[in-house]
Amino acid sequence: MQQPSWSDSELILRAGRLWTEATWSPFLDAVADGSLPEAAFRRWLAQDYLFARGLTSYQAIALAKAPRDAHRVLIGGLVALDRELEWFENHAERRGIPLGERPHPVCRAYVDFLMRSAYTQPWPVLAAILFGVEASYLEAWSRLTPAGPYAEFIERWSNPAFVNYVNDLAALARRHPHPDAQEAFNQVLVYERDFWRMAWEG
Amino acid sequence: MLHQILWDSCRDLVQACLDHPFVRGLADGTLDPAVFRNYVAQDAFYLRAFMKSYALALARCEDLSAAQAFHELIGGALQEIAMHRDYARSLGLDLGAVRPNPACLAYTDFLLATAWGRSLGEILAAMTPCMRLYAWLGQNLAPCAVPENPYRRWIETYSAPEFEQLAARIESLLDSCATDSPEVHDAYRYAMECELRFFSAVMPGL
Repeated sequence: MQQPSWSDSELILRAGRLWTEATWSPFLDAVADGSLPEAAFRRWLAQDYLFARGLTSYQAIALAKAPRDAHRVLIGGLVALDRELEWFENHAERRGIPLGERPHPVCRAYVDFLMRSAYTQPWPVLAAILFGVEASYLEAWSRLTPAGPYAEFIERWSNPAFVNYVNDLAALARRHPHPDAQEAFNQVLVYERDFWRMAWEG
Repeated sequence: MLHQILWDSCRDLVQACLDHPFVRGLADGTLDPAVFRNYVAQDAFYLRAFMKSYALALARCEDLSAAQAFHELIGGALQEIAMHRDYARSLGLDLGAVRPNPACLAYTDFLLATAWGRSLGEILAAMTPCMRLYAWLGQNLAPCAVPENPYRRWIETYSAPEFEQLAARIESLLDSCATDSPEVHDAYRYAMECELRFFSAVMPGL
């Protein structure tokens, strides 16, 4: 039987307009047409790196709580995150962007939400959160055509391997439902929306 | 002393808290009761996270005298929670149904993420600003606790010698358990920023 697509997830359908707010942004429009101001790009890169660091810690704790059927997907995701951090570090070095800066309050609140949840929430809620983080990123970047000065960035979060990963996360969230999953998923979308806004507006 | 260095490094934020319209409204008694109601609800949500953070800090103590200090601080937090319950009753608030606003959620998530995952020194650096700030605000506002001020009880709670003792207690724990590191400075300052945002979040139009 073919696995249903990640985009048919009940979590997304029930999130309503929050889903759209989390995945559309003037920042992404400016990436698409190549008009993104350099300052916004640098801010986004530095903060997204800090976020990815936080997500790596989150995912490691989620893995420790996860049942056996989730191990391969989560471990694969961690390996990909390690590569992603290295990729960020290389880009930052090439462009002279310092990565040791203080997180913006939005980035910090998002990562603290992830970490507090990792420590206090049961595995099914953690699965819904992780699906929310990655699915919203996939949706946001897949709206763009991989062309122009930021083609490499668009490609990174819209390629078929990333789609497969998000499909696997959707399947995990579907297999492990929880009454608190939707609320946590929605909170991820609130932070995604605020993060794009912060990257665009400062 | 580390606690003094940290406090001095946050003078700008501390002054901004004292000058904040919310605190000015408590001082002269003109604060909109609806705003105070909202504040009490958010603060009650916050205090539960604060109490849990003390407990998680206590769980890290090898030293029994530090464990004893946390035991007392948890008692203080429980008393504050009881005071909020009284406020809530008089204001007709259901504290069980409180949804945190974004500033309150960010602050409590920071406290709990720190309390679960970071060192004892960082936990204390994240928790001390709330205690010292409120003691300092209470003492600054003490002359405003006149009978006709509807917020007299709030001012009296935080200007009381008992609250000063709790603040001094957590500061001495901070001095003995934390090192003067960038992480400790960062946690302390971020907590103080959260305090300022907490006031703004309950004031409409700020």
